[in-house]
Order: sequence, then structure tokens, then C-alpha cells
Amino acid sequence: MEGAGTSFHPMGTGNRTLNNPQMDCREFRNKHLSYVDDTLPGVELVGMQLHLTECVSCARQDATVRRSLMLIRSLQRIEPSPGFSERLAKKLREAKALDAASKPLVRPRKFAAAVAATSVVMLGYIALSLRQVDTPRDIMLPPVVATLPESVTAPMMSPAPAMVASVPAGLPIWTAALFAEQVPIHFVSADLTLVNSNR
Amino acid sequence: MASIARKQIVPNQGATVREQLRAMDDSAVVTAFLGGEERAFSELVERYQARLLNFVYRTIGDREKAEDLVQEVFIRVYRHLHRFDRSKKFSTWAYTIASNLAKNELRNRSRNPLVLFQTVQKNWQDDDRPLQFEDTTSRPDDMYRKRHLREIVEESVAKLPEHHRNVFVLRELEGKSYEEIAEITDCNLGTVKSRLNRARNSFAEIVAPYME
Repeated sequence: MEGAGTSFHPMGTGNRTLNNPQMDCREFRNKHLSYVDDTLPGVELVGMQLHLTECVSCARQDATVRRSLMLIRSLQRIEPSPGFSERLAKKLREAKALDAASKPLVRPRKFAAAVAATSVVMLGYIALSLRQVDTPRDIMLPPVVATLPESVTAPMMSPAPAMVASVPAGLPIWTAALFAEQVPIHFVSADLTLVNSNR
Repeated sequence: MASIARKQIVPNQGATVREQLRAMDDSAVVTAFLGGEERAFSELVERYQARLLNFVYRTIGDREKAEDLVQEVFIRVYRHLHRFDRSKKFSTWAYTIASNLAKNELRNRSRNPLVLFQTVQKNWQDDDRPLQFEDTTSRPDDMYRKRHLREIVEESVAKLPEHHRNVFVLRELEGKSYEEIAEITDCNLGTVKSRLNRARNSFAEIVAPYME
């Protein structure tokens, strides 16, 4: 098949008709499998046969393939050895025994039910354990020692409400800032005494 | 299971169970086995042991190993027949298992380069070889020539690349259709045709000098 054919027809497959069924070597080679197996449609079959009459190389190749196939198909078929059946029977017995041994002792449904029940019990136990851990029993807080009496914060001076009211009332921001400067600022000292200071 | 039960064999109609099984097609035999008829499995073995043996032997080239692999095929069939898709052909399924086992064997062998196909074939004793080309009326030189030719043919098959040989044996020796080969080898139809075409041409090229 690899050797170049002596016949080449530039005509493609699409132009082939019963009146003009020619083909080239490449196409012949591509269709040779179906040709040998006799599965080609009529038009292509005629084209293959015509090509064989024109191309010595392809005709030789066709003959070689057909003869080699006759040879391979005539190979005698071998038969199993006399002990084949006995050995197979023994292996099957072993396989059955192995299957029987590996089968679970309980049926799958019963096994699944047992697994489900065990899972429920386990989950219940886990949930109960977690609940016991989260529930506070007697919370022992450290004793609180009061060092100073709670001081009363001085009431805000009059400008403070004015500043608070300025923004919702639509007053310009700068007036609010002006008021803010007059608002008394309270600082808490480190020893928790109230300090009043006016800026 | 109802359909299986319906197809169970009723052994009271003259013919023995084995005769009834022999008359059934593969699908019915499989159904009978799944319905509890153990003898149906023996029928399947009887039908396929030689076919599978030839296929595996031509693929791996070692008769003894081929027998082991065919036995493995039947054990797998026995174990997994309940999972077999009965809308498909039993033979295709069995050949697929055999093909996979043969492929594994070749793969394992390729990892051990000491055991080669030709070596195995050459070690095969003459007495074990089939005498298909023998003819008592032939002269000794004819017999020699024919035996030699048969060896050449077997060696030529062995020389094909593995995936070509597989397709070639399935088609030319087992008579499988392209579609069946595609299913067995897990290839598409185009690949099967291409491989078969190449295998045929390669084989013809190898044996051509001996056919002159």
C-alpha cells in the first residue's frame, strides 16, 4: 500500500457516477478495507474494480492482502487443554467460598438500621454533653469594692441645647461651631475627680 | 426478577435442561442463570471457552497464560453477571473482559523484558502445536514448508503493534463486526477501521515474501 500507484485520476469522489467511476490510488487505499469486506456501495465498488484494472501497484497490493487474509483465516483454532474445565470448576468453588466468607453476617437492611440507631444515640449523647458544658451553674463574680461615691455630672449649660438644635433647624454650621466653643468641656482626672474647664 | 422467574427452565418437556439451554440464545441463558439455574453457567463456558482462548492466545502468544486468563474471564463473569447490562450482547461483554485482561498481561510483560512474545512462542513444544496444515498425503518437504508457513503467520500476527493486533484478531479470527470491535476495545468506529486497515497492510507486508 505504501508504494506509489501508477494510476492517478484527478477527479474527486464527488464527481463519480456510474458512467464515470474512476478514482485515484489514495482513495483506493482508503476504501480498500470496505472493498475487501464487501461493504461498499455499488458506485464505489465499480470505481474500485475499475481502478484495479488500471493500476498494477494497487492490484498487486489487493492480491497480497487477500492472500494474507486467507492465510490467517485458515489458522487452526486451538482447543482448551483437557484439564481446563476441572481447573475452572475448582477456581469457581474457591471464588464462591471467598464470596461467602466476605459476605456480612447481617443483612444490609438490618445493618443500615443498626448504624442509624447507633448514630442517633451517639448524636444525642454529644448534644447532651455540649449542653451541659454551655449551661452556667453558679457564677461567682469577684466582689466589687466602691472607692468613691458616684459623682453627679453637672447639667449642661444653656448653649449646648442650642448647638444640638442648630443642625436639625438648618442653621449654618459656623454658628454651631461658634456655640460649641462656649460649651463647657468636662475632663475626668485619673483619680476620678470632676474637672470643669472653659476654653 | 419477575421476568427472570418467568424464563426459568421447566424441565418436564421431554428435552433435558442441558438440551434446552443449548437451544437458547445467550441472552436467555444469562437470564436462566440469573434465575437460579446454575447449569446455565456451564453452557456459557462451553460456548465461549474456545473462542475466548483463541482470542487471548492470538493476542498474548502464550497458550498456558491464555488458559489462565480465560478462566479469570469466567470467574469475573460468574461474579458480576448480575451487573451485566442485558440490553447488550453477552459475547461483547465477555470479549471486553478478555481484551482487558490480555492488555494487562501485555502491559505487565512489557515491564519484564525477559519474557517476550516470540520467546514464549519459540518455547512452545512442537507437540503442543495444532496440526492444521498437516496432511498425511503430503511429502515431508511439503509438511515442513506448511509448518514453517504457519509459524511465519503466527509470528507475523505477533509482530503487529498491540492495538492493531487486538483489532486484527477480533476481526479476522473472531469474525466480529466493526461495531462490536469498537465496543470491545473502547474505540470509535473510525479508529477501528483505521487500525484494521493498517494491521491488514502490515500483516500482508510481513507475510508477502513467504507467499511467493
